[in-house]
Amino acid sequence: MRSIDLDLDLDIFHGPFDLLVTLILKEEIDLWEVRVSRIIAEYVVKLADSGEFDLEATSSFVVLVASLLEMKSRLLAAAPGLEDDEEFEADEAGEELLAALVRYGQFKRAGEALSVRWADHAARVYRQAPIPTRFLRAESLGQALSGEKLADALEPLLREPPAPDVSHITDLAITLVEELRRLRSLLVRNGGFTFSAVAPRGRLEKAVTFFALLELHNRGEVELRQARPFAEIAVTALTVAEALAVAG
Amino acid sequence: MDSLARRLEALIFIATRPVPLEELALHCGCSDEEVRGGLAELEAEFVADRHGLELVLVAGGATFRVTKECEAAVRSLAGARQPDDLSPALLEALAVVAYLQPTTRSEVAQVRGVSSEWALAALEERGLVEVAGRADTPGAPILYRTTDRFLKLFGLANAEDLPALGKFALEASDVEEIRGRLMSNAARRST
Repeated sequence: MRSIDLDLDLDIFHGPFDLLVTLILKEEIDLWEVRVSRIIAEYVVKLADSGEFDLEATSSFVVLVASLLEMKSRLLAAAPGLEDDEEFEADEAGEELLAALVRYGQFKRAGEALSVRWADHAARVYRQAPIPTRFLRAESLGQALSGEKLADALEPLLREPPAPDVSHITDLAITLVEELRRLRSLLVRNGGFTFSAVAPRGRLEKAVTFFALLELHNRGEVELRQARPFAEIAVTALTVAEALAVAG
Repeated sequence: MDSLARRLEALIFIATRPVPLEELALHCGCSDEEVRGGLAELEAEFVADRHGLELVLVAGGATFRVTKECEAAVRSLAGARQPDDLSPALLEALAVVAYLQPTTRSEVAQVRGVSSEWALAALEERGLVEVAGRADTPGAPILYRTTDRFLKLFGLANAEDLPALGKFALEASDVEEIRGRLMSNAARRST
């Protein structure tokens, strides 16, 4: 899969598209906040401006965007307590989506009712002038607040706060470079493997492994096969000749 | 009008905001029930064809507002602008906050099926929703609720004055229509 050369300028993210995908997989950016339509629009503008059409790069883009949309649609129909790697039954997903659409329809109607109330009431005029000053109640602080009391009250605010304790925050257990090294040694030793056999248990670490696989595929070092969506991913090492044949 | 009604009239006139019943009772030295009686007398006095003002209960209290007949003249004098209309997207997001408050941004997005960051920011800028603390859940997301300005602009005494959400439930025929569309889309994709 070719890497996507696309710099994005979204409300919540500025930078390359590949980095956005990584941050979404790491759950550092909430997928709900990402406007996929805007990403597609920016890519179309880029294609129009460049005047060139790279089929492989565009195919990669379509696959990644389709994955983002599928992840977003799964969020829409997500059932609480369902594990990520369990497969949705088609009927169950359909009923979840129907329930979500019915609920949305109810609030859409409520919004329309608010629109009617807005038309009736929003333009009405209320008193806006301030109270005449002669009616304002002036309170004398008198002895209630002396200079010493004010200084005592301000002293804690002027003190430097203690540094926060971050000892409970653990660093990422693996890096992308280490994971690439590990996967390459597995490929040399065994010629191939399945994703579930090599993926670590943690979600973040699993995402790094997945991204390392994408990078290996992008460099033409492996072939990825998946019988159907969300099935096991089979990874096979490619020889140089095979890689050239695929690229050619 | 009796003495209490006149005092209520004076308090409501001088205040710059809707005055809650309890406050009126406190400053008039009487009970909430007596205040209700006084307000009823005041409301009867300020009917549209006798005065340029009418008595209303909005945003948790009693206030005067200009009658529709006199609005044009007041706008000419005071230059008051009508607030900009709300788009359907903003009204949808506002409805979710109004009925589910306090609610988080992701809950609004879940109901609407799209990101609601922009909508909530716009509603907050227009003073219709405000931050109401943080949820006691992992991540401590920000909670949103409607404001007194929302109540005023929609002519509501309080949030409970909104029609029940159940009133907007879809009919069985609408649900079946949506189900039919989902099935036909799924069938079209699988061929």
